[in-house]
Amino acid sequence: MEGIGDSALVVARSLQSGRRLRRQLADKLFTGALSGIALFSVVAVLAIIGVIIVKGLPIISWSFLTSPPAEGMTAGGIYPMIRGSVLLMVGTLVIVLPVGILGGVFLAEYAGTNVFSRFIHASVASLAGTPSVIFGLFGLAVFVLMMKMGVSLLAGCLTLALFTLPAVVFTTENAIRSVPESFIEAGMALGLSRWQILWKIVLPNAIPGILTGVVLSTGRAAGEAPPILLTAGIYYATGALPRGWEILKQPVANLPYHLAEGYRQGGVIPEAIVWGTCLTLMLFVLSINIWAIIVRTRVRRRQRW
Amino acid sequence: MVSSTAFLAGEYIAVETYSLSVFYGETQAVKDVSLPIARNRVTALIGPSGCGKSTFLRCLNRLNDRIPGFRMEGRVRVLDVDPYGKQVDLIELRRRVGMVFQKPTPLPMSIYDNVAIGARSHYGLRGKKLDEVVEQALQRAALWDEVKDILKRPALQLSGGQQQRLCIARMLAVEPEVILMDEPCSALDPISTFRIEELMIDLAKDHTVIVVTHNMQQAARVSDYTAFFMYGELVEYDSSKQLFLSPRQKATEDYISGRFG
Ligand SMILES: Nc1ncnc2c1ncn2[C@@H]1O[C@H](COP(=O)(O)OP(=O)(O)OP(=O)(O)O)[C@@H](O)[C@H]1O
Ligand SMILES: [Mg+2]
Repeated sequence: MEGIGDSALVVARSLQSGRRLRRQLADKLFTGALSGIALFSVVAVLAIIGVIIVKGLPIISWSFLTSPPAEGMTAGGIYPMIRGSVLLMVGTLVIVLPVGILGGVFLAEYAGTNVFSRFIHASVASLAGTPSVIFGLFGLAVFVLMMKMGVSLLAGCLTLALFTLPAVVFTTENAIRSVPESFIEAGMALGLSRWQILWKIVLPNAIPGILTGVVLSTGRAAGEAPPILLTAGIYYATGALPRGWEILKQPVANLPYHLAEGYRQGGVIPEAIVWGTCLTLMLFVLSINIWAIIVRTRVRRRQRW
Repeated sequence: MVSSTAFLAGEYIAVETYSLSVFYGETQAVKDVSLPIARNRVTALIGPSGCGKSTFLRCLNRLNDRIPGFRMEGRVRVLDVDPYGKQVDLIELRRRVGMVFQKPTPLPMSIYDNVAIGARSHYGLRGKKLDEVVEQALQRAALWDEVKDILKRPALQLSGGQQQRLCIARMLAVEPEVILMDEPCSALDPISTFRIEELMIDLAKDHTVIVVTHNMQQAARVSDYTAFFMYGELVEYDSSKQLFLSPRQKATEDYISGRFG
């Protein structure tokens, strides 16, 4: 009786340890596979960055960044392109900030959960998944041709604003929804109006989240060529800018456009300049993202709870 | 069931519910509660967890509005207004009915702004006038001496007990007539608790105070009247002395002697 019990126990133990071994092995394999994939993606990113730095760095200098192209685009710098990209970003922000934030506020606070708000949600979500080239074509058809803006800074900013709108709306909505309910109730209990609660309690708390989302998505938009290719870009630009509102009606050279054209023109722009532009664009987007992180941590620190 | 409210004879009734029932979707949180509450007295609401005390309290200033599935039946009267009536001015109602929550909820702004935000909005006060109101409110909440030199600091840097007194000051700054307190001391140490109890007694000189508490000693110490709830129903309502010394209902006796909940 005892013997049987013992051997049964031994069998059970060995079965158990066999199972444990297999589980540990599976665990190891899985961890190994995951680390491999992670490592691969890191290496791939580093390789891309490395190539761009190695190829782009030699040409980058103060004068490359601050002087216009020369000798029929075959020499000189890329100052007008940097300036154009900055102009496009600023214009896009000016348009998308109020519209996107209001949209997010509406969805989070006023729309409720009815059919209408679900319809808006679905629309914004599918807008977010639309390839950027579609936005470019839409901008060309509507802003450039139908509304007769021509290929211009304004048309480009509007197109980019549309492109970034879904991300801004959603990040605003999420940031607002994540403001603690207890703050809102405290405001209600004090007899503040819905508008005051939104303006003085909810928005200040949602701002870090909103800003991060806005800057990250405009950063992404800054690197997108398709939306501005047909709406705002121009191949050649001198150093001078038109004055006043005229600036909105003129096309602008910019970094992504310059890159795209650099290849399309079949070798007019020297390879070194293309790589230099590439690196500059990368740093441009990177600095926007870093700025977003700094702003967020600053604001967070000021209002920790 | 509560049959007689004779013990309230001579009191002015500031707040009253008639057959109030509250539902969250399918669940009924408050069942047919008729409760008159005396002006300028402390009334304690006691009862086991989940019996609907907070729900009842939040009907008086309509803080339940945002909760999905919330529905109420019966009638409520607060200072001669029906909070659920058609023409009610919610903002004015909530100004007259202040509330302190279980967890201190200072807003993420400065100590000064926390107290000033309501007074600014309701009375349009600015500058010196506003400073005065803020100081008075903080004095009354027994917090002034501790914060008078750090008014610009974020309120979230205060201790829990200070934060709760700040929330009381914030509420006082809009000059409410009725004060609702939902377990205001449950997150506090004995000394802070003692100070807030003192404050409740002081406030009841010119405010109608309704306080939810799980602390029997506290209810016995500070309140004039006590209502005992169970499963959403009002089981017993009497002067605190009567209710704690010789409860009429078996359930009340079991609860206050610690044999239940
Ligand atoms: N937001 C809500 N949604 C759905 N049901 C709720 C909600 N709030 C409370 N309830 C339910 O209503 C009933 C009463 O809750 P309430 O918070 O009023 O109790 P309470 O007496 O304050 O309890 P406690 O002493 O634990 O604070 C409970 O059954 C609870 O589950
Ligand atoms: Mg409660």
